[in-house]
Amino acid sequence: MKRPDSRTLALGAALALSVAAALQPEAEAEQPTYDVIAFVDITGSMNARDYAAADGKPQSRLDAVKSRLATAVGRLPCGSRFGLGVFTERRVFLLFEPMETCRNFNAISGAIAGLDWRMAWEGDSRVSAGLFRAIDAARPAGADVMFLTDGQEAPPLRTDMTQSYDGEKGDVRGLIVGVGGTDLVPIPKYNDFGREVGFFSMDDVPQASRLGPPPEAAESLPGYNARNAPFGEMPAGEEHLTSVKEPYLRELGEMTGLGYARLGAPDDLAAAIAANARPRPLPVAIDLSPAPAAAALLALVALFGAPLVARLRRSRQTYA
Amino acid sequence: MSWIGFDHPWALLLLPLALLPLFVSPLRLSSVPSDEVAPPDPLSAIAGATIAGLGALAIALIVFGLSGAHRRDQTVERRGAGANIVLLIDRSSSMDSTFANRAPDGGEESKSAAARRLLTDFAARRPADRVAVAAFSTAPMLVTPMTDKHDAIRAAIAAIDRPGLAHTDVGRGLSLAFSLFDDESSETSRAIVLVSDGAAVIDRRVQDALRDAAARDPVRLYWLFLRTQGAKGIYDAPAPGEPDSPQVYPERHLNLFLKSLGLPYRAFEANGPKEVSDAIREIDQLEQRPTTYREVIPRQDLDWLCYWLAAGALLLLLGAKFAERRLDDGPIAADWNYGARPAGRAT
Repeated sequence: MKRPDSRTLALGAALALSVAAALQPEAEAEQPTYDVIAFVDITGSMNARDYAAADGKPQSRLDAVKSRLATAVGRLPCGSRFGLGVFTERRVFLLFEPMETCRNFNAISGAIAGLDWRMAWEGDSRVSAGLFRAIDAARPAGADVMFLTDGQEAPPLRTDMTQSYDGEKGDVRGLIVGVGGTDLVPIPKYNDFGREVGFFSMDDVPQASRLGPPPEAAESLPGYNARNAPFGEMPAGEEHLTSVKEPYLRELGEMTGLGYARLGAPDDLAAAIAANARPRPLPVAIDLSPAPAAAALLALVALFGAPLVARLRRSRQTYA
Repeated sequence: MSWIGFDHPWALLLLPLALLPLFVSPLRLSSVPSDEVAPPDPLSAIAGATIAGLGALAIALIVFGLSGAHRRDQTVERRGAGANIVLLIDRSSSMDSTFANRAPDGGEESKSAAARRLLTDFAARRPADRVAVAAFSTAPMLVTPMTDKHDAIRAAIAAIDRPGLAHTDVGRGLSLAFSLFDDESSETSRAIVLVSDGAAVIDRRVQDALRDAAARDPVRLYWLFLRTQGAKGIYDAPAPGEPDSPQVYPERHLNLFLKSLGLPYRAFEANGPKEVSDAIREIDQLEQRPTTYREVIPRQDLDWLCYWLAAGALLLLLGAKFAERRLDDGPIAADWNYGARPAGRAT
């Protein structure tokens, strides 16, 4: 038999390559996935409206979190797991344990949409205590923590006492997400039926901490009375207004080994999760079949294209 | 064709390449000046068209394969026996102690751990259910909306033995539970399963709201009461002469109130994990109504099929190629070689 010509070779090569592609060669690769429990602050200051919705209307911090968090969770790679909890007073309440994000996205986004300040069981907002509890709550699930808050401590912290974190710094990873604008805004006030009745005024909220023993040299404070006013009179202050307390949240992050990010667009939020949470490599198979298939296509294009090009060139020579 | 999808639709731009075989044959050109010299032969025409078609088909199939053709995931509605269930779970801190009202130790599990274990089994046994989970303590909280994703249901039930809060606000919890049935949950198969270890006085206004809700959305109601040792039970009536008020006998009065809603209602009083298990089994048997639920058939890649079909087409082409005979190299040419001169290579 004669030596096969170039067309037979091209055809044979295309056949062999397409069989190779049909056999679906695969390579093993690892994709990072994340396992986080988000705790959302549902205290009163999260009702302050310093965001704008897509239609330009003022949006409360809690609504801003709800709309962005759900989208950000959708951006996490499939195989990631997401749990949800709420924070108020000085503790957290876990709503559900982490679940896979892609298959259960409707349940997750429905649960996030169901978050409401009315779920809150007490009015206090001890952010640091809540954060420490959140870390404790994430530990048994083996998940990382995400704590979304404006950092508004209510009642305010004692300036003469420093806080400390007893846990092991960095054994749970994750991030604190600062929510709110940098300008002070008023906090809406609600009555017993949950209807909005104006804003908190300076006299409605304690402007300084009254917890613990009075500070030294309290006698010299204005209005001091050993029995009735051991801390002196309540000073004027801005605790009835709120803004995101970034330096404080960064400090808490340093203390606990968590990262810090400001609530941004959903993509940025997903990127912040990826940057601060522990990536959990999930083996995924990468399909290699496009390579032989593309080569087979090239062989066929050469097989059919070369004579066409040659014919065109010849016809140009003829008429030239 | 909505069931077919492409991962890389831009790769479909290569599809016009499939037209190439219609202009060029994979067989060698012969320098016969005109095919008029050969008598018209339908068989040859068919063979020629087939060869061109096979080439076009092979190229098109490879392009389809490269663009990641797949069958999209399909949801099929299935009919099964189950229910649309709202699990309304007490997350007050008393749920974290045992039935003997002690802190749980190795020997005895807490009420919430028992509830968690048994409800997880319950959900796992019932694939045709759609389940929503709500929790209540000081305030009612939506945990997961009505879903047929059993992963999600499991994750929601898994959290019920996490530390709870202070109070037991049953009334508002129930009113949240009524609101969780969506349009998709067929009216004949709605049930609320209330799991609690205590009751509380229901505010008048909430009572009215609940009566409205019960009249609007008829559901079947189950109360699984986890009775702690020494606590008052559902059926404990006050001794003669003692005041019979909801403040003193909240469980008895919640039972009376739930009865008065006019809904199909069952109360189970469980004094230990065994009785909880029996009660859940009974609810399981009672709630077997026709439901429709959706099952997702995951997407299926079709590129391997495209490549095999392309390989088949190429195999036929290769066969044609090997069957190729030239005018100048076979005995067949002997009769016809008047018009031909020994051909040079065409390529």
